[in-house]
Amino acid sequence: MKRSVMKKLITGLFCGLLSLSASAQEDELKDLPGYVDFGDLSALYGEPKIIINLGGTMLNFVSMMSSAESPETAELISRLKGIRVQIYTINESSDAAKRQFSKVKDKLKSSGWEPIVQINEDHEQVLIYMKMSGGDMEGLTVMVVDEEEAVFVNVIGQLNPAELGKVLKTFNVDVGVDVD
Amino acid sequence: MNTYDDKREQQINALLDGELDKAAADALKSAATDDRELARAIIEAYQLQQAMDGIHVERAPVSLRKRLRAIPRKQRTAPGIGWFQPRWVVALAAIPLVIVALSVMQPNTPSASEIANARQQLAVAFAYLDKAGVMTGRRIEQTVGYTMADAITGSVNSVIKLHHETSREKEA
Repeated sequence: MKRSVMKKLITGLFCGLLSLSASAQEDELKDLPGYVDFGDLSALYGEPKIIINLGGTMLNFVSMMSSAESPETAELISRLKGIRVQIYTINESSDAAKRQFSKVKDKLKSSGWEPIVQINEDHEQVLIYMKMSGGDMEGLTVMVVDEEEAVFVNVIGQLNPAELGKVLKTFNVDVGVDVD
Repeated sequence: MNTYDDKREQQINALLDGELDKAAADALKSAATDDRELARAIIEAYQLQQAMDGIHVERAPVSLRKRLRAIPRKQRTAPGIGWFQPRWVVALAAIPLVIVALSVMQPNTPSASEIANARQQLAVAFAYLDKAGVMTGRRIEQTVGYTMADAITGSVNSVIKLHHETSREKEA
C-alpha cells in the first residue's frame, strides 16, 4: 500500500517536471517579439486537430540534421526561433473562429504588426501579418478560416517565404496538406 | 582428564577424528593400555563425540516463528505514515537527483526520433504556410487579372513582394 503511494508520488513528480519543462519552453517563446497569442477555441471546436510548438533548441537540432541533406533548408531553419501551429476542425458554424480571427487581428494592429495580405469573403478569410524591426523580420502570422477549418500559424524569427516551396520539397514527407 | 595436558587432549581428539597418523595412534593406544587415566579419557571423549553426533537441530513451530518475527514490528514506536522510514528517506533524497537529471537531459539531448518528429511538424507548418500563400495568390489573381498571374508564384513571398500595394489599395 505504502509502496503504491510512493510509486504514484514519483510518477506524479516525473509528469509534473515534464509539463513544467513544456510550459517553460512556451514561456521562452512568449517573451519573443514575434510571438502571437491566438487564444483558445477548444471550448467551441474541441481540441485542435493539429497543434505544433517548436522552440529554438529543437529547431537548431532539426537544422543540424538537415544540413547534410540540404544546406539551404538548414539555413532557413536556423533563422527561426520558434514556430507554432493550431488547427481546429469546424464542424458547424465558423462564426466563433471568425470572431477570434478579428480579435487577433486587432491585437496585431495595435502591437506594430503590418498587414501583408487580407482576404475577406463570407466563406473564406485569410490574413497574413508581418512584424519588422530595423529592417529585420521578427515574426509572421498567418490565419485562415473557412467552412472546414481554422488555421493559426505563428513563425517567430526570420523566414524568406520564397524559399518555402523549395524547402518543402527537401523534407520529402507526406504532410497531408493539399495545396492544389 | 584434568591431569592431562593440552597436548594429550589434542592427541585424543585427533585420534577420534581420524586425523592422527598411524605411528602416533599406535603409540597413544599403547600408552592407554598402561595408563588407566588415559584410557578413561579416550573412552569419555569417544562417548561425548557420539552424544554430540546424536543431537539434531529441531525447527521451531510455524506459530512460534511468526510470533518471533512480529516482535520487531510491534516494538516500532512511530505510528502512521512514518516519513522517516528508510524507503521514504531514499525517495525524498532521490527528488533533487531526478530534477537535476531531467534538467540536464531534457533541453539539450532530444532523441533522434524526437528530432525526426519535430522535422515532420515543421514540414506540416511550412505546408500550411505555403497553402495560405497559394490561396491568397489565387484570390488576388482573380481580383487583379491574369496579367499578374505570372508574377504570382503561389508562395507567400510572392504575395508579400508583389501584392503589398494591392493590399494597401484594398484597405484604402
